[in-house]
Amino acid sequence: MADIKGYNMPDELYYHKENSWARVEGTKVTVGMTDLFQKEAGDIVFVDLPDEGDDVSQGEVCGKIQSRKWIGKLVSPVSGEIVETNEDLDDDTGLINQDPYGKGWILKIEASDLESELANLMQGQALVAFVEAEIKRSEEEKAKAK
Amino acid sequence: MGEQWRLFRHEGVSVPTAEGLALDDTLPWAVVNQSSPPILHLYNFVPSAIVGKYQDIEAALRLDRCRARGIEYNRRSTGGGTVIMGPTVVALGLGINVDYPGLKKGIGGVFESLASVLISSMETLGVNAGFRPKNDIEVGGRKLAGLSAASEEGRALLFHTSLLVDFDVDLMTDIMNAPVIKLQDKGYNCFSQRMTTINELAGRAVPMSEVMDAIQASFENEFKISFRPDRPNEKELEALEGFIKNRYTKTEWIFSNRHPRTRMGVGQLKTPGGLLEVYLSLSGSSIENLMITGDFFSTTEYINLLENTLKWTSAHKESIIANLEAVWKEGAIHGVSMDALVDAILKAKEGQVRL
Repeated sequence: MADIKGYNMPDELYYHKENSWARVEGTKVTVGMTDLFQKEAGDIVFVDLPDEGDDVSQGEVCGKIQSRKWIGKLVSPVSGEIVETNEDLDDDTGLINQDPYGKGWILKIEASDLESELANLMQGQALVAFVEAEIKRSEEEKAKAK
Repeated sequence: MGEQWRLFRHEGVSVPTAEGLALDDTLPWAVVNQSSPPILHLYNFVPSAIVGKYQDIEAALRLDRCRARGIEYNRRSTGGGTVIMGPTVVALGLGINVDYPGLKKGIGGVFESLASVLISSMETLGVNAGFRPKNDIEVGGRKLAGLSAASEEGRALLFHTSLLVDFDVDLMTDIMNAPVIKLQDKGYNCFSQRMTTINELAGRAVPMSEVMDAIQASFENEFKISFRPDRPNEKELEALEGFIKNRYTKTEWIFSNRHPRTRMGVGQLKTPGGLLEVYLSLSGSSIENLMITGDFFSTTEYINLLENTLKWTSAHKESIIANLEAVWKEGAIHGVSMDALVDAILKAKEGQVRL
């Protein structure tokens, strides 16, 4: 488990720059939103998911997530077919806040081109640099506003 | 002056909901697909009720009353709750790239930046407004405008707000369904305690054009830009027509079922400070709206702060407690403890029924 500047970003996952994560098990990929996203967004109040059987491409918007009055995007980290969506989110979207990498998973994809696409996602030092850059950018904006 | 932004401004004409909302959706589309600079759209709608993207329209509105009164209803593409629009409500749409210089980062940052523009525009009208995190502009605890947004294609963002210059409370109580109607039935003057208008605050009838001028000037000052009055180009008109056809005149969009069904409940509790009543609207596992009332002593500002703190947050007990703890001031509601308020909310939740 990795802590990057106070954000839980587990080592074994792959990360998309639009704040979705991917857990790879064979060719099946579980997808969710990161701790960085859920802390910034606050309470998630609605999730609009694709249908099982839909095809998605890496980087494609495949769902919408509402926090307060903001509607954000769920961007698919890999290409493939949606094989399952998390039905528990129908009853409790707060699972994304409470347990973003566990019970708050959002959907599962049967990946079609994993080998080449994983290279486009972040892990390790690239992820650390990304999170630090996001935090720095946010702090600079706050400083400018003072 | 720096960059020139585009300005679509409609005055003296009330815009049908399908056209106004479709043009708003065209703004971020143009930023992404036409490499357009940011576009500000200022206008007013025909008398209408517009729900948030994931609201349950049949629970939010009395559609029979809308039809009887000739009030249009539609669904916008940004989040949040129902807004009642018309000739004395300034509608604002903004299409902008989230990375635009000067726009603060993150969801909270963007709302803060744009609220700051609107607050300074109010100052020029003699209205001393403030930002109530995370989404409202208020004066003395009473709401003047609500902000909503959606991330669109690429890095583009659509920002929506409406500013109340004047407002027809009777119309609102007639066409809205929850939970305010319950209060209205009991004779509470709930709106005047929770909302206000520019006319009321300025103490005069402020022309719509003056409000639009103030908003424009405030954007120019805050972002160091100038505006170029403009109209949609040919490609943008095509996109606009597409949004009208595929969204705003389509039953599947307006009555979209991609939302949780709204339920409402009432919780009553006797406390040392008096009777405490909570009216709660739930959407899935979230609080869409709530009103706290009763015969206890407190300030309107503080009650509105509590209500606003809980709107669009999780309805789970732990979350309610955590959110209230962040703003709770012991003694601010005389004789009512935080535990009692949580109990009343949970009672309202237990008694929830489909509207």
